[in-house]
Amino acid sequence: MNSETKSSPVLIFAAWLFVGIPAGWGVYNTVHNSMKLFQPPVAQPAQALPTK
Amino acid sequence: MPLLSFLDRDRTIAHPGFNRWLVPPAALAIHLAIGQVYAFSVFKIPLSQLIGITKSVDGDWKQSQIAWIFSLAIVMLGLSAALFGKWLESAGPRKAMFASAVCFALGFYISHVGVVTHQLWIIFIGYGIVGGIGLGLGYISPVSTLIKWFPDRPGLATGLAIMGFGGGAMIGSPLAVKLMAHFKTGTDLGVAHTFLVMGTLYFLFMMFGVFTVRVPAEGWKPANWTPSAKPSALITTHSVDVNTAFITPQFWMLWVVLCMNVTAGIGIIEQASPMIQDLFKGTIGPVAAGGFVGLLSLFNMGGRFFWSSVSDYIGRKATYFTFFSLGCILYFLLPYTGGDHMNSVVLFVAICAILLSMYGGGFATIPAYLRDMFGVYQVSAIHGRLLTAWSTAGVLGPLLVNYTREYQLAHGADKAGAYQTVLHIMAGLLVVGFISNLMVRPVAQKYWLPDSSAKIGNKTEK
Repeated sequence: MNSETKSSPVLIFAAWLFVGIPAGWGVYNTVHNSMKLFQPPVAQPAQALPTK
Repeated sequence: MPLLSFLDRDRTIAHPGFNRWLVPPAALAIHLAIGQVYAFSVFKIPLSQLIGITKSVDGDWKQSQIAWIFSLAIVMLGLSAALFGKWLESAGPRKAMFASAVCFALGFYISHVGVVTHQLWIIFIGYGIVGGIGLGLGYISPVSTLIKWFPDRPGLATGLAIMGFGGGAMIGSPLAVKLMAHFKTGTDLGVAHTFLVMGTLYFLFMMFGVFTVRVPAEGWKPANWTPSAKPSALITTHSVDVNTAFITPQFWMLWVVLCMNVTAGIGIIEQASPMIQDLFKGTIGPVAAGGFVGLLSLFNMGGRFFWSSVSDYIGRKATYFTFFSLGCILYFLLPYTGGDHMNSVVLFVAICAILLSMYGGGFATIPAYLRDMFGVYQVSAIHGRLLTAWSTAGVLGPLLVNYTREYQLAHGADKAGAYQTVLHIMAGLLVVGFISNLMVRPVAQKYWLPDSSAKIGNKTEK
């Protein structure tokens, strides 16, 4: 038997979407968090900061 | 067992017309799930306050005790990858992925019992040992399958999967935080329920990979692709079995390459947050440092895809040559970007980002390097054994960083000066990796399998 059934492009797109949505959510959260690096420091009342 | 016969290797052979781009999402489903291990630290504080709820009290577990759960899981990752790699080659990727999903989910369920009964040893067995075996099986399960599907771009294919492992923490961390917030009550921090839900969610997510993965039929190759008539001397057309590969000098040179690259990367990861605060006192506070750590994880993940894809064009040896030569210069320069010298936060962040991208790239490019050296025949099993370099680096890196730093501080060095010593030691480690990579030569003919002529598309396992 040599019948060739090509994988549907919709199926391939759906497969990538299935893993892409949670991955995208994770990346969004991380990018959002990393933006804090570029925010100007907020003046805080003097207190001992943890060094580690 | 007939019930589980759908997991058999011969039931996963792709039909003609199957699109190979369905395989990377299957691999990603496994790696995005097991990558959660890097987010385990979000449970550290809640696990240390299960009795006291708002603070640790007598009877609560100490954070130093809880830290062993992660360490145990990583050690088991390396051990199980080394032990079960050969079985995986004969059992096929679907069975290995299924076993990985069962172990990983079971790890969460057993840990649920450990939290409910407040027995830490049960969590050691659950997440640490059983879950750790799931990590090892899952990590190596898609590697040889991807290489067989993408003989034209093995770096890109394995990079895609291993990028998922880097990205897994980005999902696992916010997911755990949101679930614990959802289940939290006045008398319960919600950890036990979170373990149950995460075990179930990850199991279902991994099942997508289990049912989607396929191996190519014997002799399959991509349309319009023919292997190069004059391949690079460093890309073999022969095969070496895992036990023989283990005794070749090339295996141990690559072991040193991976170990040095990972140890140096840990030098940044281990101290990223305090380092940026100490080097830029008054400019960078704890919140911005948290953002810096997040940025590094993005570059760690992106580097896995970027560098492994680049390696398809420039070659694996040249890729590691870049890691070690550029890395050595950057590690040497890094301390001089601090407040006492150049005082450039931008330069410091940029250098760390490049270094972390090369750390991730080192993980993602090694499977393709192994395939170039030993052929595709038992590449997952060989990869599994090589991961013991990662376990070693996981112990060596933090030890080197912490003890060197403590020694420096105890002998009167200021904080910035202590970082300088540590980073320069990391640069030295990269020199060792550079030499080891430089010494890599093609595997000698005496190690080849007798009938291992070029079968790049596929080769049936014994």
